[in-house]
Amino acid sequence: MKRKLVSVVLATTMLATMVTGCGGKDNSSADGAAGTEKSDDSGSNGGASGDAVTLKVYSNLPDRNNGQGLVEQMIIDDYMEENPNVTIEVEALDEEAYKTKFKAYSMEGMPDVVSIWGQPSFLDEVLDAGVLAELNEADYADYGFLDGSLEGFKKDGKLYGLPRNTDVAVFYYNQKIFDDNGWSVPETYDDLLALAGPIKDAGLIPVAMDGGDGWPMAVYLSDLMFKITGDYHQTALDALANADFSDPAFTEATQLMKDAADAGLFQNGYDSQDYGTAMNLFTNGQAAMFYMGSWETSMATNEDIPEEVRENIRVFTMPVVKDGKATATDIEAWNGGGYAVSANSEVKDEAIKFLNYMYQPDKLSKYGWENGVGMSAQDQSAYMTGDETELQKQIVDIVSQSTKVSGTTINDLGPAAFKTAIESQIQGVSNGTITIDEFLTGIADSVK
Amino acid sequence: MSREKTISNAKSKKDKQSRKIILWIVLILVAIIQLFPLIWLVDFSLASSNEMFTSGLLIIPKKIQWGNYKTAFVDGHFLLYLKNSILINGLAVILVIVVSIMAGFACRRMKWKLSGFVKTLLLMGMMIPIHATLLPNFKIYSKLGLTDTIWALLIPYVAFSLPQGLFLMTSFIEAVPVEIEEAAVMDGCGIFRIIVQIVTPMIRTSIATVAIMTFLNNWNEFMMASTYLSSPTWKTLPFSVLEFTGQYSSNYAVQFAVMALTAAPAVIVYVLLNKYITKGVAMGAVKG
Repeated sequence: MKRKLVSVVLATTMLATMVTGCGGKDNSSADGAAGTEKSDDSGSNGGASGDAVTLKVYSNLPDRNNGQGLVEQMIIDDYMEENPNVTIEVEALDEEAYKTKFKAYSMEGMPDVVSIWGQPSFLDEVLDAGVLAELNEADYADYGFLDGSLEGFKKDGKLYGLPRNTDVAVFYYNQKIFDDNGWSVPETYDDLLALAGPIKDAGLIPVAMDGGDGWPMAVYLSDLMFKITGDYHQTALDALANADFSDPAFTEATQLMKDAADAGLFQNGYDSQDYGTAMNLFTNGQAAMFYMGSWETSMATNEDIPEEVRENIRVFTMPVVKDGKATATDIEAWNGGGYAVSANSEVKDEAIKFLNYMYQPDKLSKYGWENGVGMSAQDQSAYMTGDETELQKQIVDIVSQSTKVSGTTINDLGPAAFKTAIESQIQGVSNGTITIDEFLTGIADSVK
Repeated sequence: MSREKTISNAKSKKDKQSRKIILWIVLILVAIIQLFPLIWLVDFSLASSNEMFTSGLLIIPKKIQWGNYKTAFVDGHFLLYLKNSILINGLAVILVIVVSIMAGFACRRMKWKLSGFVKTLLLMGMMIPIHATLLPNFKIYSKLGLTDTIWALLIPYVAFSLPQGLFLMTSFIEAVPVEIEEAAVMDGCGIFRIIVQIVTPMIRTSIATVAIMTFLNNWNEFMMASTYLSSPTWKTLPFSVLEFTGQYSSNYAVQFAVMALTAAPAVIVYVLLNKYITKGVAMGAVKG
């Protein structure tokens, strides 16, 4: 027994020396990396005097040659050109990997400028960890941010980030198909459901729906909820706080969504098909409508889409529902993604300077508009050239003529667990696998 | 008499032939099923993004889009990532083989008190889910200043492949007759010489098996790579696919091209080592 004990102790000591030995070696081999970090530090100290500064940008846009990623890269290139002493290093990962690494970074120090989402499901945990720097709201008074667009990025009245886009939930439709068949844009939700029959009889899919991802259907549900209540924000927050979704508006909205699925408004297998599949049904002319966000406005200029489809894409928003409190011009719109600065950044001043640079009116707004990546969260009427596509003009009109906007969608109002619950169960309730009551208790359980 | 013989000969020949034909048909069918994903991958990588969503199994591209591959090479930083992948995977394979042979020999053939315990301890590594270690490792690495270095990937790749490697190696070393080693000792062989000159050549098949398993396991690994690396210096091939992932929808055609290029080295390694792996796995199964 004693001998056993001795050998165990010996083995532990050996193991310990081995580990520390390795550690020492690792440290020395990592000197190169540590060295570069040191030089970064000295750079930051001398930032004010024009010495080299390295800014680390952590972005959720891995594709740097198209769309929003291209816009971001253009601004970064501009900034480096105007400030030769600044080097900006971009690290980009897509959504899931981005969020995983974001957690890792929040333990061990954030990059200087990061992408964030102005939604409680993402931002609450991040702000509790205190990793984002507070911004001075007064600085942005003349940046032309749209009313209410900063709200999602605030906590206790303090501003922590700035929104990148304004997103609107819309039905894209193929005007040529509508005209050829004598269909008209639905005025009410019942009209929309009534279209399902004739469109299917014509051998087409009424609405291409990305049901596989969960969030587009959650947006659809929020959209209906907004049409019913006229303002679901407080109702949803109360429901989340009490873990009780028995408010009749939830039941009604879910029922209306289920009605659409029952009426065959969505394509076969909508509940498992992904974004690309749904979108291609529409862009190939197989579907008459496509429910998605306003960021897909660039379809109208996408050369890959056949001309007869691309030039006939028009848009309408969710029609009014019977006895609903919202009017036709009240729209489901929100400000999702945005940027923030790390609280512990060693080059915080430069990071904030860069952040403000991005939001100069002729950067994100203008480049975004020119590249057709959707609406920015700022007033961009100055960049209208008159050469916009019909689709772009329509979206701008929808936003500028809107009488009320919904704000953050329901799935993003709660914590991350709620988001997961609603986005994974919503297909089930729409196709009848689970009942509406089971769905509403299911999402309530996730916030208990 | 002789005529009868020729008839029966012809009959059995015919029999043999028809059996052969059936065998061939079955083999060809299996081959098609096995190869189809690869053919599908290459086929889709030559189409345009818009042709992807057909109801057919394969696409006949209107125009063969070699541009996808060009984009993959240039915008996907393919060559840099390929170099990193080969370097990191190559080193991981070598380290796993060296350590697992030595540890396997030590645990099986050398007599010391804790040999069984150490072996169990190392094999327990098989039970640790890789993703559970993701964030703790990140914390340790950043304390040691190892994030964004080659070690950040090499250490976990070796660590997670080692248990499997060790498991296979020990059963193979078992199969080497002790008498050979005894003879080597009689002739004045030291312990390292026994391992290098006597044991290693006799377990070639298992080395190939371990090499191929380690290589294929780590070749497509992305979660750890994306967490531990941030600058492009050491990024591996799976990052190449990411460069074409948009915020909402992606450039599928180029992603297919990248995946075809990523799959190619793995297929080549498999083809080169495949005659050993089948032998190796079968042998290990019995002796384990």
